[in-house]
Amino acid sequence: MALQNLRGRVAFIFTETDFDVDQIVGVKNIKLRDPAELAAASMKEYDAEFAKRVRRGDILVGAANFGYGHPHYPPMIAMRHLGIAGVVAESFSPGYWRGEVAMGFPQATCPGILGLVQRWDEIEVDWDAGLVRNLTRDAHLPIEPLSIADRQMLDAGGIVGYLHARDRFEETPHD
Amino acid sequence: MGFTIAEKILARAAGRPGVRAGDEIRAKPDFVVAYDFPGYTDVIFRQMQDEFGIERVKEPDRFVLFIDHMVPAVTPQEEDLHQNTRDWGAKNGVPVHERKGIGHQVASELGYAVPGAFVVHFDGHISQLGTFGTLAIGVRRHLLEAFVKDSILLKVPQTTRVEIVGTPPPGVMARDVFHHIVRVLGPSACRFQVLELGGETISRFGIDSRQTLTGLAMFTGAITAIINPDELTLAYARPRARKSIEPVASDADAVYAARHTIDVTDLEPIVVVPPSPANTRNLTDYLGTEVQVGYLGSCASGRIEDLRAAAQVLKGREVRPGFQLHVVPTSQDIMRQASEQGILTDLIAAGAFVTSPSCDYCFGRLGVMTAGQRAVSTGTLNVRGRMGSPDSEIYIVNAAAVAAAAIEGRIADPRRYLGG
Repeated sequence: MALQNLRGRVAFIFTETDFDVDQIVGVKNIKLRDPAELAAASMKEYDAEFAKRVRRGDILVGAANFGYGHPHYPPMIAMRHLGIAGVVAESFSPGYWRGEVAMGFPQATCPGILGLVQRWDEIEVDWDAGLVRNLTRDAHLPIEPLSIADRQMLDAGGIVGYLHARDRFEETPHD
Repeated sequence: MGFTIAEKILARAAGRPGVRAGDEIRAKPDFVVAYDFPGYTDVIFRQMQDEFGIERVKEPDRFVLFIDHMVPAVTPQEEDLHQNTRDWGAKNGVPVHERKGIGHQVASELGYAVPGAFVVHFDGHISQLGTFGTLAIGVRRHLLEAFVKDSILLKVPQTTRVEIVGTPPPGVMARDVFHHIVRVLGPSACRFQVLELGGETISRFGIDSRQTLTGLAMFTGAITAIINPDELTLAYARPRARKSIEPVASDADAVYAARHTIDVTDLEPIVVVPPSPANTRNLTDYLGTEVQVGYLGSCASGRIEDLRAAAQVLKGREVRPGFQLHVVPTSQDIMRQASEQGILTDLIAAGAFVTSPSCDYCFGRLGVMTAGQRAVSTGTLNVRGRMGSPDSEIYIVNAAAVAAAAIEGRIADPRRYLGG
């Protein structure tokens, strides 16, 4: 298993700097556990028709310091349930980033992304080329490279797969 | 060129002569710290066994668990979680500390804040061990790696150095200084970096104040904060230290991502208005805002210095009838000291509701607000719904300002009550 390029439409653009992702499901729903219930509760304040309009493989776009605050896991559990394949943002808050990468959920840092895309544009995140391409508008911007550990984590689909992979890579397990 | 304290600590933890920001390394944490919480410790314990076939951790002395959330339990499910943690600790030979206080504070009291040590937790507020020159990072679910492997993969972070200069005026506390740093630098200035604090103000600050500053590092975007150890912190940390490690400090010619100097001479008490920890304002702009609840506690601000400041304001005065003032000392040891010093007596006489240490007031499990209510709080965070209804509001202020608001039932200037 390896990290696939993301290719899909921009399902929503969060233009708010320091965006608190908990708002996606709303604080009153943050303790829900069922992905379908979370998905049904999500995005109400942003686009009430979101669940109907989104397609598998679509991508979220965010502004600077996306995920600031005390991010919880349910919002992106909801987004993945609806088919969202990853997030591209101007920059990320480290707590959010670490949490979602450990879940195997691809995140790409792309300074300038808000100027590159409009909602529903078709975009592609090409990890090896290090680019986000706007296929609708024939434009592109570089993404910041993933660290080795983050790349391995996403290649393995999350922390558990990554740790199994570490076992395989380390011939003489000194640890 | 020299090295930062973070680079030196990680070089030792990686078993390498030197590392630089940007290097990807495998570092062995000296201590792995966690509190039990659904979705974290219960999942880690299960995955260790089911996914990786690990029955017991190899070096139990490197691990420590706290039971500080959901204390006391109010449902059988919560007590099940705690019992599972106790059982896991007993089976693994890993200490489980409960009812001692908030783990981030108790970790220092029990000698896990070893100057020069590398510590991981899932929760970012562990950064407060940086008070003692310990590099303590919250890694969320990556913590599983520290339970399954000896070492964790990480990228050596860059460091931003912030010098604090000047003497804050009376009524201005470390809590104000921290949120002023966020105001000046912005909430993302230190993203993915270490916030290294120093300067004459830090040198004059006591340990309590330094813990407040380092414990809130995440709201600058930093992954942790650290202060080069000095006589004060070494005198506290070394006799307790659970591991023998040579303390280190940043070199004078260390390479920083940025350096800033912030003068707090004219700083006023601040208020951080809802719904984001990025919203630092002057308290005076919000005087008169009606509030019904006050929370004095948390891993950020519930120490002797905070309790004493509140008692100074409240001594001989009364909490306004109907106002709910919750005072929750950060640890049992702090509560004992506050009791011995007569601080609790003053607070109780004024009408404060004083309870034993617990994280539960901070995240809306106890003392919750209903729609339309507002709190002044020294809790960590003011996001929507943090202390109850999503339609309640949290204004973060220093401990003296919580006490002043408790007297008036509205946001009030603590300096009025500290004039002598």
